[in-house]
Amino acid sequence: MLSLLIRLFRGNRDFATLVICVVLSAIALSLPPAAKTVVSSIMSVPILRPVKRIAVAADGLTRIRSENARLRSLVMKLVEERANLVSLGHENDRLRELTSFIVGFAEEERFDLLPATVIGMPGGRIIEGIEIDAGAASGIEPGMPVIVPDGLVGKISRTLETRSLVEPLTSASSAVAVTIERSRVRGIIRPRYGGSAELLDWQMDYVPARSDICAGDRVITSGLGGVYPAGLIVGDVTAVDEGPLTMTIHVSIAVSLSTIEQVFVLRGLVAPSPERDAMMQMLLRELLAEDAPSDLSDRGTP
Amino acid sequence: MKIRAFAVLCAVALVLDTALAPEIEILGARPDFLVLALVYGGLGLGVSVPVIAGFLMGLMTDSELPEYLGLNALALSVTAFAAASLLDRLVKSHILVQCSVIFGAILLRDTIFYTVYYRGSIGIFGHLLLRYSLIGAGYTVAIGLIIHFIARLANWRAITGAPRR
Repeated sequence: MLSLLIRLFRGNRDFATLVICVVLSAIALSLPPAAKTVVSSIMSVPILRPVKRIAVAADGLTRIRSENARLRSLVMKLVEERANLVSLGHENDRLRELTSFIVGFAEEERFDLLPATVIGMPGGRIIEGIEIDAGAASGIEPGMPVIVPDGLVGKISRTLETRSLVEPLTSASSAVAVTIERSRVRGIIRPRYGGSAELLDWQMDYVPARSDICAGDRVITSGLGGVYPAGLIVGDVTAVDEGPLTMTIHVSIAVSLSTIEQVFVLRGLVAPSPERDAMMQMLLRELLAEDAPSDLSDRGTP
Repeated sequence: MKIRAFAVLCAVALVLDTALAPEIEILGARPDFLVLALVYGGLGLGVSVPVIAGFLMGLMTDSELPEYLGLNALALSVTAFAAASLLDRLVKSHILVQCSVIFGAILLRDTIFYTVYYRGSIGIFGHLLLRYSLIGAGYTVAIGLIIHFIARLANWRAITGAPRR
């Protein structure tokens, strides 16, 4: 039998190789598990480990590439979100300012304030009108004062159904009855234009000579004439020109008209209402979470 | 093809089979770079060398799965023997012959492997053969075709199987 096999193998070397490989494979297959593990570890250390390293490196490279792409898109998204947050932050600051302004009114001076957004400013170098997004449908009528937290803006000159036109303090026809807050000296304030129709400043007329007015005095509405309620900030005295009979007072207005975005229309006085105040308190607590509620109660709300 | 070049080819095939094949699988089927290398060995080195190479490469692959140590060695050595013997008897430079041998070799390797691995469970064996082996064989043949055309352009007779003048 053995001699037959040897003769067969001698004549067919390829077949002999196959038989040897098959026998060795069968031996390997029939090894006990512990021996198989030892043989596998012996083989994998010098030969397969470098191959595996290459495989792991290639796999890592692929993973890093896909992770890089994912992170890039994430960065883009975060940059976009950050831009949105910055914009929302600015809006939040503005709204906080507005809400604190509403609360700032004393109870007896509480007006029915209608918030509105500026949607246009007709005019060239001089702002002749300010268009807002609230009109007759919201109860707005010509003559109603328009204010911002910094002070007086002007009054409603014309109303449409959903829009209104505000006549600002820069308008040539604007005239506001004012008083000096410190000395209570009264007068009328108007815009003053130069030779080429550029706005120079505001001038307070009809002030008797030697009145107690000096630069830096605050100018507020006097309430005379019935258009504007008393106490709205108009601006500050910048210079005083003494004349023989009257004084000319130069005033700088408090509001930067070209940058306002939101305004309030004063629709009249509001009767004190506990329900409304409670709702306002709740809303403000949400908006001004970090501002203690005691701050609000200090401002005259029940 | 010289034995040294074949050894390098086998090493490259081993790397590709471990590193690249899992990344380029299609419908769960991977190209079989080991069988491809053995077939190219059979084109220029006779039968014995590819059989020994198949045994050694199989043993290395088996070290990944110690429980079945020797199974891939058995499958690859038998496959190498069959492929090399066939190529010895056929016009090995013909592209169709090469493609058929590659296709058949992969099916043979998988048949041996699944038969032992699943201990003759016909259902699973048939499912795996139809689901993965056929696609894998087609995939490997496609790669073999690409390699063949590149080898033709570069005039690598060891790969194309063209006789020396």
